[in-house]
Amino acid sequence: MTSNQQQPDRVHRPPGVCIPWEEKVRELPRITANEQLVRKTWEDIDALAYMYIWHLLVSS
Amino acid sequence: MTMVTDKEQLYQQRLKRYVTAMRKGKPDMVPIRPFVAEFVATYCGYTCQDVTQDYQKAFDAVIRCCRDFDWDAAVANMVYVWGGLPQAVGLKYYRIPGVGLDENTGFQYLEPPAEEAFMRADEYDELIKDPTGYLFNVWLPRVSTDVVPPGRPNTFRNNLSFLKGGMAMLSYFGAFPAQIDRMRRECGTVSAIAGILKAPFDIIADKLRGYLGLCEDLVERPAKVLAACEALAPHLLHVALTSADPSKTVPIGFWMHRGCVPFISMNQFQNMFWPTLKPILQELFKRGHQVLFYAEGRWAAHLQTFRELPDASIIFHCDMDDIFEVHRVLGDKFCISGGVPNRLLAFGTPDEVRQRVREVIRRVGKDGGFILDASAIVQNDARVENIRAMTEAGREYGVY
Repeated sequence: MTSNQQQPDRVHRPPGVCIPWEEKVRELPRITANEQLVRKTWEDIDALAYMYIWHLLVSS
Repeated sequence: MTMVTDKEQLYQQRLKRYVTAMRKGKPDMVPIRPFVAEFVATYCGYTCQDVTQDYQKAFDAVIRCCRDFDWDAAVANMVYVWGGLPQAVGLKYYRIPGVGLDENTGFQYLEPPAEEAFMRADEYDELIKDPTGYLFNVWLPRVSTDVVPPGRPNTFRNNLSFLKGGMAMLSYFGAFPAQIDRMRRECGTVSAIAGILKAPFDIIADKLRGYLGLCEDLVERPAKVLAACEALAPHLLHVALTSADPSKTVPIGFWMHRGCVPFISMNQFQNMFWPTLKPILQELFKRGHQVLFYAEGRWAAHLQTFRELPDASIIFHCDMDDIFEVHRVLGDKFCISGGVPNRLLAFGTPDEVRQRVREVIRRVGKDGGFILDASAIVQNDARVENIRAMTEAGREYGVY
């Protein structure tokens, strides 16, 4: 059996991510200094939201 | 730095024993690792409601049991559902003791009728396209009494659900490191597992389509089911990896539900269940994690398939299968755990329990690679004297 027939286009939302940084950064004012620092902060908190929904599904 | 104390020495001794057996070695004696859940409430004079509504009581009860019984490893809280989280989110798929359920009945999962499944049959594409988005936007509003779907008027309760649910989850999950540390410092007991894995197929049956809905889909739209399993798999791998033991010492708990014959056919197992699970297991092993196959029910039809996995990549926990046959088929590759039927712990005598422990250790544990445990999670029907007999007999007959 194969699933490679008429499957929908996937949304780019990889494991661990709810709102990708690439999407968020477009909404922010120009980052004038260390972008990686801002990105890490965003992704660390975003991962908690991901954890919330997936642990509701899997763990509880 | 951890100070070396008597408890610390005991902990190190037990950890070595437990890990050696899991890696298929022969330790100094057979490790004892009972998965005790509501039993800890009975032992400490609590109701099921007490330990489900107040996780500190559940933690305390585990500590008291670990102090009183000579167990090498235990689960930090096997009554893993804390009532605060379902209350905060308004989850519909539970009955919690004391709320629509007797205070001495363990929590129950509810599966809605097939026509009211939390995921509709025509929503596979939406799930496949964006699993995380589907869960937030479609699934969560259906499983919660308070969450409203996008596009509907917002409510006070909707806002509170996310705030209270998120804080409740952090509160509960955040309490585990201290509990695991207490087990070590106060009892010298190892926390038996870390992290969670479920098969993509089981997630669809348990929480999305329901078992009956899935059975219908396996006939009506099998390619969609397979594609959904493939879409879920990377997320379930991520959940397992991010919740696993960073030191890679204790295994990830893998809870096996209805992916076996006769719940599904052998063909469905071979073409859907296994191909979407095996890559997850291989990746976890590649990254240094063992997985505890908690094989609830009977999995005899699939033991040969499990041999495809690398040596010592899993610990196979035997529930209702014949443990001697499981050992014959898998014993050269994997550690086996279990051996004492819950029926015996509930209705047998201490002497019968001792005889069973002796036989299992003699036949399954003789060359190492064996962990003594009940067949399934120990609830409040187990008699204290039988758990004591299992533990004492494990020590009496389990020395190599």
